[in-house]
Amino acid sequence: MKDDNKPISRKAFMQELRSYRNGSITRRHFMGVTGLGTAMAVMGGTMPAFLPSRARAQEIGDRVVLATWPNYHDPANFDKFAEMTGAYSQVNVFGSNEEMLAKIQAGGSGWDVFVPTNYAIPTYVDADLIEPLDLSKIPNYDAAAFDPRFAEAGTINGTVYAVPKNWGTTGIAFNSDKTGGVVDSWKTFFDGARDQFDGRVMVHDYQLTTIGNALVYHGFSFNSVDPAELAQAEKLLIDVKPHLYAISSDYQPAMRNGDAWLTMCWTGDGKQMHTDIPEIGFALGKEGGEIWSDYYAIPKDAPHKEAAYALINFLLDPEVNKAEALAHGYPVADSRTNAMLPEELLNDPILYPAAEELDALEFGAAVTLTDPNRAELMARFKSA
Amino acid sequence: MLDALAATGKTMQQDQQMSNSPDKTIASDSVAEFIGTTKRFGSITAADGLSLRIRRGEFLSFLGPSGCGKTTALRMLAGFERPTEGDVLIDGSNVSGLPAHRRPVNMVFQHYALFPHMNVAQNVGYGLRQRRPRMPKAEIAQKVAKALGTVRLSDFSDRRIWELSGGQQQRVALARAIVNEPKILLLDEPMAALDAKLRGEMQRELLALQRSLGITFVLVTHDQEEALAMSDRICIMGNGRIAQVGTPGDLYDRPRSRYVADFVGKANILTAEIIETRDKLVTVRLRSGALVAVQQNPDDSRAQADIAIRPEALSLAAPDAPLPVATATLPARVTHRTFLGDHTEYLLEADDLGTLQVNVPQQAERVSGGHDVGARVHVLWPEGTGLVLAADD
Amino acid sequence: MAMTPSRARGLLLTPAGLWYAALLLLPLAVVLIFSFGERSPIGGYAPGFTFAQYANLPARFAAFRNTLTLAPIGTLAALLIAYPLAYFLAVKVTPKWKTLLLVLVIVPFWTSILIRSYAWIFLLGGKGIPALLAHLGLEDIRLLNTPFAVLVGIVYGYLPLMVFPIYVALEKLDKRLLEASADLGTPPWRSFLQITLPLSMPGVLTGCMLVFILLMGEFLIPAILGGGKVFFVGNALVDLFLQSRNWAFGSAVAVALVVVMLVVVALYSRAVKRFGATRDDTGLM
Repeated sequence: MKDDNKPISRKAFMQELRSYRNGSITRRHFMGVTGLGTAMAVMGGTMPAFLPSRARAQEIGDRVVLATWPNYHDPANFDKFAEMTGAYSQVNVFGSNEEMLAKIQAGGSGWDVFVPTNYAIPTYVDADLIEPLDLSKIPNYDAAAFDPRFAEAGTINGTVYAVPKNWGTTGIAFNSDKTGGVVDSWKTFFDGARDQFDGRVMVHDYQLTTIGNALVYHGFSFNSVDPAELAQAEKLLIDVKPHLYAISSDYQPAMRNGDAWLTMCWTGDGKQMHTDIPEIGFALGKEGGEIWSDYYAIPKDAPHKEAAYALINFLLDPEVNKAEALAHGYPVADSRTNAMLPEELLNDPILYPAAEELDALEFGAAVTLTDPNRAELMARFKSA
Repeated sequence: MLDALAATGKTMQQDQQMSNSPDKTIASDSVAEFIGTTKRFGSITAADGLSLRIRRGEFLSFLGPSGCGKTTALRMLAGFERPTEGDVLIDGSNVSGLPAHRRPVNMVFQHYALFPHMNVAQNVGYGLRQRRPRMPKAEIAQKVAKALGTVRLSDFSDRRIWELSGGQQQRVALARAIVNEPKILLLDEPMAALDAKLRGEMQRELLALQRSLGITFVLVTHDQEEALAMSDRICIMGNGRIAQVGTPGDLYDRPRSRYVADFVGKANILTAEIIETRDKLVTVRLRSGALVAVQQNPDDSRAQADIAIRPEALSLAAPDAPLPVATATLPARVTHRTFLGDHTEYLLEADDLGTLQVNVPQQAERVSGGHDVGARVHVLWPEGTGLVLAADD
Repeated sequence: MAMTPSRARGLLLTPAGLWYAALLLLPLAVVLIFSFGERSPIGGYAPGFTFAQYANLPARFAAFRNTLTLAPIGTLAALLIAYPLAYFLAVKVTPKWKTLLLVLVIVPFWTSILIRSYAWIFLLGGKGIPALLAHLGLEDIRLLNTPFAVLVGIVYGYLPLMVFPIYVALEKLDKRLLEASADLGTPPWRSFLQITLPLSMPGVLTGCMLVFILLMGEFLIPAILGGGKVFFVGNALVDLFLQSRNWAFGSAVAVALVVVMLVVVALYSRAVKRFGATRDDTGLM
């Protein structure tokens, strides 16, 4: 396209830079890549519009600390929570489950609520790092309203440790102007990377998805830790590497400016890019891939437990959750909330793909996250 | 031959040939020459129309207070400054536009400017190593050893610069310059950083060196004793101009101007009315009315002038002592008396005349028994001593 | 009762000693202990005593090789660009402009290296310099996400660290030495080689050391401008601590990095001794 060859204007540059800094940042975010996530509290604390009344403040305290992902909430909801309860929310955002785990493992995180992904929960439970939830304090959680697929990872051995927030998938974002149509298979993705899409393909800087999808290419499980299968995935990745545009979870900028044509992509990013640039589409790999869901959980050492319960209960209020969904654009697991969302969102094939398309997808497993061989494979891939 | 200096080695050679020819005796007599040389820095005129011939083999000093232009003159000779007007000649060829590295002169810098990353021998050999075509290493080593021997530093060739004392560093700087056998050796206040005792020694060494090498030395100094002690000729400068050029004796005995008389040695300077001139002697009337006869200043026809007389040319006598012949007498009162070893310095209040200084040799002082402070005395002014000064510019 | 001088000095050094222990030795000791431990099954550190982590170091050979290749090249490139700049600032610029130009060299440091590196993404990306080159007929030049982009980022990011030591060395160089050199028959360019360059070597060595040491631990610029394809030891460490959370192995890699740096610093001090001739108290005033 002729646009590609135009030097970026100063105005366009500033716009893009601004979008880096506030808006269209991927969920796992460049901070995850760079390890800066823990150092940056991007959203900071949202102060209540007025001073909390003493009576209420004594019930749950005057603050609650939330560790979550970037662009995953409606800031107005935190103001509303402070108005109602007198507790203001301090929000810290992170780049990866590993980072969150490291912080909680080290102790003294100071968090009251955090947002682990399905496959991370067993690790927290095994290490005795999270609290079994007292559901009587979360009356807004109605298990019947949730598709069990998106709720079951929160329950381990019959005990509920986490309640569901949102879900999503990891698929393929493609620029159809460049790719000449829909790319909806990992076969095309990895073969094209070495052929017609040479130098235009991005994979995540994340072993779970990058290795997972390379396994799926070969017809293996996304979660495989079988050495022979991993060896085949490694061969594929190392073979592809010289042809890749980048190994990065921060793929939106390159996709938006046309440098990259094809990338592994999380639902929300796909939705955001498609909304702004219609020729960027999002498809699930037909061989399979990842489906995930995020949960609310409370660390064992949370300093404001009552406030933690109050915040989770508040955010699970279908009205509040609707505002959240409209702000972040991720699929909602709560059918009560879905009933309130606009038709065009529910019919959006990116957010709510047809049920049979989801059948091929796999939830990440706990062992997939912590397997040392996969970590070493990723290091070999990146340093190759 | 004065054409703007493409003075490459070739023209220099030609110049030398010419200077050796019989009809170029002047050129061979003077190793360097300033011709109406002026240097301005912005609105400041640092050197103002200098004209001076530096004789081959002489020891010439530029003497003057700071800011008088003496350093600028030296730097124009070295090639660090380019004249704004006029020319600088070295060995008869115009070098005004020639950069420093192409001039056959070498300098001993005020703070020596030795290269700290080289040892003594490397410093001394630096100039020789720059020669193109290259000088053989053995020859360099031999010349360096000889130069170090000359400045008595043969055992120091491997020393680092900072291991040396100030005097030793100075000698290294000297060796570094003379090893190149320059046409002129330039010395920029070389002894300013040395203590008084070392300075005296160094002065004698420099003199001896100059005699033995036969190289022209041009020294810049603000120290009149240093200039008087070492120089064949002194060029006294003030306000960017040459005030007077002459031998130390000339300058001392026959200062042309009040500026020179004041700067070289001490002098009583008095305003007087010129009465009559006869046989190179001028009879003048001092303010007190006394008549004295002093040396004439050539081509002078003023009615009034400053006259100068050295303190040691005057003597003292008790008021009742018999007066020698051909001597003017000025009645005065002793106000200060300072014993200075070889002589005693008297300050006197001469009647209707003001302050006079008289230096009395110790021998005379012993004979007369001295004069107490407050005592009335006669200041004796022998006929024909003292001289009329030219008007200052 | 009077204290002996050595005892008094010991007391005076106590705060410095404590500071040294707390800020330098303690973290280093922790890293050392970790490096002999094991990775706990869910990640992090499990106590133990094994050399397994060190035995596994060859698994990060590529990261060390990449770092030890790009760090010297980056240092050299920074030097080649910084020296003329420092020389210009120290020697050629009038005092009036000097301050302004020095501030301009520092100003970029007031912004995070992250933001500045992102600016380079746009400059090197498809709509930046490659688009300009395309106008000149050089089609399809890829700059971003290459070792070259990392090199550009490194040189840009570390330039002030290289400029300033060299600037200081050149600034305090006695100009009379150059006059002396000229007086002894040396044309300007040879004076530069024989006087200016050797006497600015302490600044050059300091700058190189600063940049080299920091480059050895660099991870941000390769991650951002290398598109994750250029993998330094620093990136290996970030991944080991924050992704796979293999603290034991990460600690062993960190210890190995420290050892490599110690070797470099040792070589550096030897070089400094060679140029150690340059001292200020040489009668230069």
